[in-house]
Amino acid sequence: MTAAPVESKRIIVGAGQLAVSAESGDVLSAFSLGSCLSVAVYDPLIRVGGLLHVLLPESSLSPTRASTAPATFVDTGVPALFHALYALGAEKYRTLIYVVGGAQIIDDAGVFNIGRRNYDALTVLLHKHNLRIRGEHVGGGLNRSVALHIATGKVLVRTTGQAGEIAL
Amino acid sequence: MNELDDYINRVKHLPPAPRVLPQLLQLLGQPEVPSEKVVNLITYDPALTASVLQLCNSAFFGLATPVSDVAEAVTQLGFQQIYRLVVAASSSRTLTPPQKGYAIDQGELWKHSVTAGIAAQLLARAQGENENVVFTAALLHDIGKVVLSEALEKRYADLLLAANDSATPLVETEKKLLGVDHAQVGGRLLDRWKFPPNLVSAVWFHHHPRAAGEHAKLASYIYFGNAIAHLLGHTYGHKAMALTGRAEVLKTLDLTPADLDRYMLLTMDELSRVETLFKART
Repeated sequence: MTAAPVESKRIIVGAGQLAVSAESGDVLSAFSLGSCLSVAVYDPLIRVGGLLHVLLPESSLSPTRASTAPATFVDTGVPALFHALYALGAEKYRTLIYVVGGAQIIDDAGVFNIGRRNYDALTVLLHKHNLRIRGEHVGGGLNRSVALHIATGKVLVRTTGQAGEIAL
Repeated sequence: MNELDDYINRVKHLPPAPRVLPQLLQLLGQPEVPSEKVVNLITYDPALTASVLQLCNSAFFGLATPVSDVAEAVTQLGFQQIYRLVVAASSSRTLTPPQKGYAIDQGELWKHSVTAGIAAQLLARAQGENENVVFTAALLHDIGKVVLSEALEKRYADLLLAANDSATPLVETEKKLLGVDHAQVGGRLLDRWKFPPNLVSAVWFHHHPRAAGEHAKLASYIYFGNAIAHLLGHTYGHKAMALTGRAEVLKTLDLTPADLDRYMLLTMDELSRVETLFKART
């Protein structure tokens, strides 16, 4: 007798949202990130993972919003993602961290550099907590989408206008 | 000018002119809006009337009793709202189909356009500018892509090569390959469709608002809406993010970079609020 195939379920993580899962069939996806940043975190031992889709670096822009939708900002979204993963049994020292998005338009003056600011805010925060990025596909002029497969911890990146996927 | 007309004349599936829009814009721009003329103009187009009434009676507005004609709809919802529904109903069919030359899939150009339209409108409202004109201009800013997509498809190999170079703006790549860009073609098309000169000029120069002269402010609103759509990731196909940053636009609109952050959030919220009114159609 063979085991019933695990049904694959795609969970879409919209801008300003996060999702975590311990279901091996789940795929967490964030589409068309633009300057937004997606952080995928995975604990390979117990196979739980989470995906975050933030828009902006700092919650000081709108503390009210940060309290109701922490996943809007890097500084409140990342802690919220880790806490949700801890609740599923993940351990900080085992987590693998991947970062996707943070694209830029062509902007020498750096006025429209929200993608860069998102990435900088994230790296400062991770550094403070002794966490390292294991893989990333960030910056430049690419509009990306990302998918985290809970069964395997695989992180796949797609870019608009280009065929195929890249595994981080 | 001839070259632009050539592209417009050559395209196999030229979208039908949204005849009602320029006339409606003109009527709504009058100090005293002639409501009978507005109602007649919309009613004259049965398909448009049906779409508008359907939207009016959708759950979004939660009207106690459904409206059965345009006059009633105007009374219940007001000119502003009806205008937005007319623009949505008359533009979505044109902007929804895939644009293969740009690698833009079904519904993507519409989503981009609606995002730009909403962002520009929110700012115009906050600054007391004419929302209808700003919304229409920003919603239609990429209409030239509908014309140039076929021509780009024929230059696909060259385009793919150019697409890897994300440091060159899309408009420059278009000019290099075709001799014209989508902003110029869009402006010319809107001119042929009898849109007012300010709107034509603003679309024409939406990648370089200062060049729009006396219409630089309207062009800046489009630029702003377009930039917010890019930052939010509502931009698709080849060279999706290859837009040139123009810091002077913020100055023209009296904004600071922090306002970009704020308007990203405001636009996202408004989009999710009005989503059902701006569904893609084919």
